[in-house]
Amino acid sequence: MANPARLGNRVDAGLLIACVGLSFIAIVLRDQDREPIASALRRTVVAPLVGLQRGAERWRVAYVTNDARQMAVDSVVMRTMNSQALQVENDQLRRILGLGSRLEWGFVPADALRGTAPSEQLVTTLTLTAGSTAGVTRYSPVVAPEGLVGTIQTADPTMSIAILYTNPDFRASAMAVDGSTFGIIYPHAQRGSGSDAYMLEMRGVPTKIQLKPGTTIYTSGLGGTFPRGITIGTIVVELKTSEVWTRTYLVRPAVTPSQVTTVLILTPKRISQGTGNIWGAASAMNADSASKRIATAGDSLAKRAAAADARARATALDSLRQAAVDSALRSLGMSVPNRARPDSVKSRPPPDSVRRP
Amino acid sequence: MTWNTAVRTIVACAILIVLHYTLRPLLAWRASIDFLVIALLIGSVRMRPGAAAVYGFMLGFVADSVDVSGFGAAALAMSLVGFSASWLKAVFFADNLVLNGFFLFIAKWVFDVLFLILGRNAHGTELMVQMFVWSPIAAAVTAVAGVVVLTILRPLMETRTA
Repeated sequence: MANPARLGNRVDAGLLIACVGLSFIAIVLRDQDREPIASALRRTVVAPLVGLQRGAERWRVAYVTNDARQMAVDSVVMRTMNSQALQVENDQLRRILGLGSRLEWGFVPADALRGTAPSEQLVTTLTLTAGSTAGVTRYSPVVAPEGLVGTIQTADPTMSIAILYTNPDFRASAMAVDGSTFGIIYPHAQRGSGSDAYMLEMRGVPTKIQLKPGTTIYTSGLGGTFPRGITIGTIVVELKTSEVWTRTYLVRPAVTPSQVTTVLILTPKRISQGTGNIWGAASAMNADSASKRIATAGDSLAKRAAAADARARATALDSLRQAAVDSALRSLGMSVPNRARPDSVKSRPPPDSVRRP
Repeated sequence: MTWNTAVRTIVACAILIVLHYTLRPLLAWRASIDFLVIALLIGSVRMRPGAAAVYGFMLGFVADSVDVSGFGAAALAMSLVGFSASWLKAVFFADNLVLNGFFLFIAKWVFDVLFLILGRNAHGTELMVQMFVWSPIAAAVTAVAGVVVLTILRPLMETRTA
């Protein structure tokens, strides 16, 4: 039941009537009249509450759009990763195309498929997507834009298997950049980690020849398996061995097998005719020969100049000696023999002769 | 009402008003909890009816200033609800939580009906659906939330009996 005493309170009733009246006035106000009142309230008393509401709505929007935003971020990351992989692949293909355009003929392009055997820590063989029907034969060289990759071990009609230079059975006849030093390339027995995982050895280098670190090693073409001038790697350091008459060098290969995705297989005809200056061996050799010729020419010029100088000195000494002898003969009243050459006398005009006008 | 109770009531109402402008937009339910109505009832039962009407008018005016679509409607509805709550507190605000929840439900529904009619925001079928579908659901949700709030605040606040 309602409290009659409180209900009958005139103050309460008056307040209620006032509030209701004010509310009705607010309801019937026109928009242009109510907006200033509401705006004043929003800017003053209700401002903190409006700020709280705005912050809460932002939180809600952030929460609601979080999944969509995360998906967008994931998509962008995935696209970025794909674009990077595509860019790497594109670069490799461009290099292969460049190598193919330089070779012009006598090669078979192939994709390299790696084995997935878990026990195989290092890549020693590659399965290539080109076989004997495309002209691939056993022992065909497998090359990449960076240099030598390996050689074909088995050639099936549609695919072939190549052993890489990391394979224990791999051998290649090699030479230094100037073509003056030869050796045999073997896979390095001790396997390192990281960038040193794939290393080679150049054995059989004569003791009298010392190769500097950084010297580029190419295939020599001896033996007929690999054509001359394919880049193998660069000299890192000389290895200590028990050999007395030969040196062994550690070689860093130019090609990293784990990054090989596309290769070119050279055909037997191309091997027999050579690859020319595809990997820059000839230019390096030419530059080396030119520098040697320049040094030799310089030496001969210096030798000639020294010989001429020596001859001039000897002539001068001889003249002085003759002049001293002649002077002594004249002082003794003896006749001085005429040492002038007949041709020089002829060329000299007689003192009594008169030049005709 | 002692000063201690008054301060507690003011703090509780302030928390509820803040919740109305933080938790409600965060939840953004179709039938959302009306913390202002809960704050109005908690405060009204501790005031005289006239003061409760003024309190309701102020709360409604604040709500109207933020949502100007029915300017004055919330003030009028809350004035009436606050006055009625204060007048009827002896009847409904016993220690029974179910009764308190029912009163909250009725208060919220009445407020929504008054707001919809006075604010003229909806017409025809939409008004009917709003009044008899969404408003009861919102009233029920508000009643549940109010019961939870009262349960939490019961140790701190004591209801003045008539």
